[in-house]
Amino acid sequence: MESTRFSIGTKLSKEEIDRKWWEIGDFFRRNSLWMLMYCTGCCAIELPPAMTSAYDMERLGMGPMATPRQADVLLVTGYLSLKTLRRLIYTYEQMSEPKYVVGIGSCTINGGIYHDSHAVINQLDQYIPVDVYVAGCMPNTESVMNGFVDLMELIKNKKANGWKDYHERYEWYRQNQIDSLGEVRVHDEFHE
Amino acid sequence: MTNSMNNVEYVKTLVETNFSVVATDVVDQYQISFDVVPSDVHRVLSLLKSEGWIQLSYLSAVDWIDDNEMQLVYIVFNWEKPVHIQVRTRLDRDKPSMQSILPIYPGCKYYERECHEFFGVKFPGNPDYDKQLILEQWDDMPPMRKDFDPQAYSARKFPVRKYTNDFEQLEGQPSKQVKREARTERIIKIGKGGKK
Repeated sequence: MESTRFSIGTKLSKEEIDRKWWEIGDFFRRNSLWMLMYCTGCCAIELPPAMTSAYDMERLGMGPMATPRQADVLLVTGYLSLKTLRRLIYTYEQMSEPKYVVGIGSCTINGGIYHDSHAVINQLDQYIPVDVYVAGCMPNTESVMNGFVDLMELIKNKKANGWKDYHERYEWYRQNQIDSLGEVRVHDEFHE
Repeated sequence: MTNSMNNVEYVKTLVETNFSVVATDVVDQYQISFDVVPSDVHRVLSLLKSEGWIQLSYLSAVDWIDDNEMQLVYIVFNWEKPVHIQVRTRLDRDKPSMQSILPIYPGCKYYERECHEFFGVKFPGNPDYDKQLILEQWDDMPPMRKDFDPQAYSARKFPVRKYTNDFEQLEGQPSKQVKREARTERIIKIGKGGKK
């Protein structure tokens, strides 16, 4: 007599089981994203209305996180000077995987109004992988919220693979970092 | 002294009787500037400090590339009498060097570092003047000098995003390319102050 207890009909391979666990993980992850806000530039001013009662980010399950090691999403809001980029790469590499990056504002896309500055980089995705861009100078709060919803969709569709790309093409990212920064390691009077 | 114009007159007499000032400029009742020779700067600042201008508000430089001179500007401030005093002096642009005012205003330590970083002015007497402060691992000439080209530096160091013209033109609508190019040209013209 066959058992009435639930049993899996076919034997699943290890990859299939892994994939199912990842889908479950992604479901919970995309509904409880913890953000690390690296508020480098002026677009950071769009975050207070997004987080507080005006647009209430909490209803998407998103909340601020204080440390990089416990955060899922890295928000880069605006221009990045060379000095900031070093710290940003430190921060990005400290985050635990899977990790996602949202670039807000036109400065992260093509330099924006700082395209000819000696101190500000032009393209963020040369140095760290970016999953979602929110265009605008500055984008309004609806677009910022829309960017977060887009990120959730990408995670659902398994397209937010920036962190895997960082593993696969690490040499390329590393070379770009070195070309623009000289050395990624921070040397200043507080660290030596 | 209650009348603030008297404050300016007071400073003017004080400095002009004690030093040979190259030029004096009374901006308004709260601001006055003195152009002095480099060797007088320390004595002028000492005198002003003993008279109550105890705070060094700012120290920076102006690059006069056509005169081949670098102008240092010391701004001092008094908490009793509302007058900002600018003490200006001109240095040779090729090898700008100025003895540090660290013994007079210890707060100049970081201003001098900043000035060295952005304009390349040396401040012997300040032990840290050549340490980096704001820019990290800078590999070019000081960036606030007039002959530094930030656009060329940016183009050399930071990759620029390439855009392809793969948009489609809607049926029956005229191209906006000409309009767009005219607008770009106008923006560039405005950016150059109306000159071609």
